Amino acid sequence: MSSGWSWWVIGLIVFNLGTTFLLFLWAPRAKVPVLPDGTTGHVWAHGVLREGMHRLPRWWIAASFAMYLAAAGYLVLYPGFGNRQGALGWTSGKELASATTANAAKLDPALTRLAAMSVEAVADDAQARRLGERLFVDNCAACHGREGLGNPLLGAPNLADDDWLYGGSGEDITASIRDGRSGAMPPWKALGDLAVKNLVQHVRRLSGQPHDAAAAAEGGAIFQANCSACHGPEGKGNPQLGAPNLTDDIWLYGGSLAAIETSIRNGRQGHMPAWNSRLSGAEIHVLAGHVYHLSHRGQARAR
Amino acid sequence: MAYRHFEFIEKHAWTLGILTAVMVSLGGLAEILPTFVEANRVKLAAGGKPYDPLRLAGRDIYVREGCYLCHSQMIRALRFETQRYGRFSTAEESIYDRPFQWGSKRTGPDLARVGGKYSDDWQRLHLMDPRTVVPQSNMPGYPWLATARVDGADIAARLRTLRTLGDPYTEADIAGAAKEVDGKTELEALVAYLQGLGIANEPQTAPPAAAAAAPIAGSSP
Repeated sequence: MSSGWSWWVIGLIVFNLGTTFLLFLWAPRAKVPVLPDGTTGHVWAHGVLREGMHRLPRWWIAASFAMYLAAAGYLVLYPGFGNRQGALGWTSGKELASATTANAAKLDPALTRLAAMSVEAVADDAQARRLGERLFVDNCAACHGREGLGNPLLGAPNLADDDWLYGGSGEDITASIRDGRSGAMPPWKALGDLAVKNLVQHVRRLSGQPHDAAAAAEGGAIFQANCSACHGPEGKGNPQLGAPNLTDDIWLYGGSLAAIETSIRNGRQGHMPAWNSRLSGAEIHVLAGHVYHLSHRGQARAR
Repeated sequence: MAYRHFEFIEKHAWTLGILTAVMVSLGGLAEILPTFVEANRVKLAAGGKPYDPLRLAGRDIYVREGCYLCHSQMIRALRFETQRYGRFSTAEESIYDRPFQWGSKRTGPDLARVGGKYSDDWQRLHLMDPRTVVPQSNMPGYPWLATARVDGADIAARLRTLRTLGDPYTEADIAGAAKEVDGKTELEALVAYLQGLGIANEPQTAPPAAAAAAPIAGSSP
């Protein structure tokens, strides 16, 4: 605030508090003409109601005066009187910093203790579970669901089963959270309608679902030529690339004929954002422990 | 002053009303007027850019659909807000927002730094029908955004208007605007806007990682 505006604010405060304070001092001493019957002569409702005269109660005067003291005290201690900083030097930034420090002091011992443990050990730690669950609900539940069961509409994997796209070790989970993951299956509609339909039947066969054997056999050859580079010749997937295992009947986007066909025809580019810009390393470590717990320690739950 | 002056005020409703209004407005004159007049002193640090055409279209859809009624874009300097949403909001971040989208009430979460928190797919599904991704959500769906197209000529006109108001758009920006939003749906525009929140026209004074981690830096081992 420029000093001109600072004086403007000071002037308004002085005017406001000054005027009301003068009224406060003057009012008890004001000479109010009183009629012989003890009223002021103000009447309402055709004379039914008449205004009398009474001194202000002491408690009211005391309470009002206390408000002036509080206002003056506030302006001395805190910012508000123009550009004046106030005797305490209070700022919202300092307040935030001290609240953050106080909170860190509470959390630090736990996070330091957990940081020294492996993700696998963090998964069994009661305190880490409470921290991790809170972080999970705040950050991960939007895609993976509160229970971590995933969402086939997004291709967000179920984290409560023990099936992994990019590996399920503590280190792998940490890397997935920290750096994010981006699926990169290209669209295969250029192969033609028939080839796609045959591939669908082959993928159904791989996962042990009802399928058309003749079409699946045709599809097998197409699979070897186009899909095996990522999904492997046996369709067991590749955790280096995040290519899913197609033989286990666990599906990111659903295992129905229509869902598989859509996946092949249009490709899939599921995306998990990197969390290292939003969460600290210690928080990611705790989260990884929580995810590890979901998959390895929870009762395995199917979607 | 004598009692008769006060009697005059008391007995003349207009005088009483006007003097009351004067006293009541003192607070606003002290708190609002100075920052209002000095708003032009707020400058965006180097690196901040005005909305590109698609994000501008998305912003206008955000305003049209009333998103600000349930979502704020104002992270307050309070520990539990910076811990959940990231660094607190500053005045210069809203410099290209006319009007600003700070909001005054949160039914849903704050969106000031939601950019990049979720994937584009998530944002699309969530706008079409929020319950498909967040079963507990009470946000309405906005399925008509998927079919409505952004009007390119209109966007160019808006850029021109914003330039009149002082936003640094070049002739090339305005000429290219229609082409940039050509064929885009309102859904794509809104997702582009949301994915840029807290990232795209924010002063890059600190790398995003350091900035987001700052409030909880003390908790890192």
